[in-house]
Amino acid sequence: MNQIPLELKNLIKTYPLKESGKFVEAVRDVSFAIKPGEIFGLLGPNGAGKTSIISTITTLEKPTSGQVEVFGVDVTKDPLFTKKQMGVVHQEIINTGFFTIEEILKFQSGYYGLRNNQPRIDYLLEKLSLKEHRSKNVKQLSGGMKRRLMIAKALVHSPKLLLLDEPTAGVDVGLRESLWNFVTELKNEGIAILLTTHYLEEAEKLCERVGIINKGKIIFIGETHAVISQYSTKKVHLEMKSGLKVSFTDVASMGLVEILEKNKIAFSDIKNIKVDEGKLEEAFSKMVNS
Amino acid sequence: MIGFLTLLEKEIKRFLKVIIQTLISPIISSFLYLLVFGVSLGNSVQMKNGVPYLSFLIPGLMVMGLINNSFQNSSSSIVTSKFSGDLEDLRVVPITNMQIIMAMGLGGVIRGFLVAFVTGLVGYTFHYFKLGEVMKIEHPFWILFFVLTGGLTFSFMGIFIAFIAKTFDQLSAFSTFILLPLTYLGGVFVSIETLHPVWQTVSHFNPLFYLINGFRYAVIGFSDVDLTISILVSLLSVAITYGMARYALVKGSFSRW
Repeated sequence: MNQIPLELKNLIKTYPLKESGKFVEAVRDVSFAIKPGEIFGLLGPNGAGKTSIISTITTLEKPTSGQVEVFGVDVTKDPLFTKKQMGVVHQEIINTGFFTIEEILKFQSGYYGLRNNQPRIDYLLEKLSLKEHRSKNVKQLSGGMKRRLMIAKALVHSPKLLLLDEPTAGVDVGLRESLWNFVTELKNEGIAILLTTHYLEEAEKLCERVGIINKGKIIFIGETHAVISQYSTKKVHLEMKSGLKVSFTDVASMGLVEILEKNKIAFSDIKNIKVDEGKLEEAFSKMVNS
Repeated sequence: MIGFLTLLEKEIKRFLKVIIQTLISPIISSFLYLLVFGVSLGNSVQMKNGVPYLSFLIPGLMVMGLINNSFQNSSSSIVTSKFSGDLEDLRVVPITNMQIIMAMGLGGVIRGFLVAFVTGLVGYTFHYFKLGEVMKIEHPFWILFFVLTGGLTFSFMGIFIAFIAKTFDQLSAFSTFILLPLTYLGGVFVSIETLHPVWQTVSHFNPLFYLINGFRYAVIGFSDVDLTISILVSLLSVAITYGMARYALVKGSFSRW
């Protein structure tokens, strides 16, 4: 056992195509690692291979080749150990109709060998604003509450690695913000988080590093601000004292003084300066479409 | 072990939450069978060895309740989880395949046993009022043995079918085309000696025939088949269906319907 919560080494996952009998490569030679207390964003368009990667980590699927290690242990060799270390929030909302929120969390605790887990359950119900709904049956819950219940289920055994597969899909803005804050708290507690999301604003806000995957292959991996500065357009907006507004694009390598000198603008004529560093969304589109 | 016990507890609580559907309804069916076949038509049926038809029918109906409900419990648990999408949870939690199969299997046995037990109570009441005597249990240990082996066999069968089924139709087809004929040709209602020789031969390939007769021997001390053969076939059925359930768990689909 080592201290790296998650490491993928040259992971390849192929699926047979029923119609032709050929194979499609859903994950192509993917490698990355996540440190404790880090939120790593795995971004890609639909069908890029994100869910296949999550499924392989959680042992829902077996790797065709390569390795997935959780704290240095191969998920295929000791799945019981690796499953105990991680919590998983699936992409699709689950609608277990028979039980209440509290019963579900008690069952989930039991699956992880925890008989008396009430303090943790109470903490999560409080944290995720589910306390007053604890006796409600799942089918009585709104979509947002179901999402929060799924997060509570994933955290009930205090995992050191959390896999969030599109955790805020279909969630309103207010709840999304509160979930972001909660995820940041988890990160500060030292939990390593793998986040897949379609909301690039979410990844930009939460993730220190991102991996961008397209057609099963990682096309960029690095710090979030690096991908933004490398692949998006930096813009400088000037508002002159005369009321004139001027914008300069594609100025990533220039300093402000250089821009002003090049465009023969006196500093004393400027009323306001706004620098737009670029967005992850723009960088993502450029990379995926190139 | 806690994981296994939790899943077993969940399986039991699940069927208790819908008690009308899972316990009351099959008990009413058994009550009607006893009333119509055992009490009303039973007078015109003559069994060998002078055994009253009602005494012959009660263990048969108990086994029918046991196997149907064991099968229904495990299969419906999996199928409803496929609908709701929480079946995948079982794959990501640290519980072994053996623990999943045994917890679901025992959940089915407990539901099947409850239905069989209440059917037995109703049957014994009918027996007392119709024949004026309390029906004696001949071999209580073998009752427990056949409840466990029969219940597990059909619970495991339910796990197998529910995992490999891709639609609800496929699951229903198994109940209609396999389980129902096995039950009716296994000697629940009549001794197979009353059947045409062809169907008698077919019945000897039906594992349920040995289970029903083993159980009937345990209750009334009378059977169409040797007890040792019933015991061996029942144990073999548990082993084979366990293997099938395990195969289905590894190869079958956890995906949402």
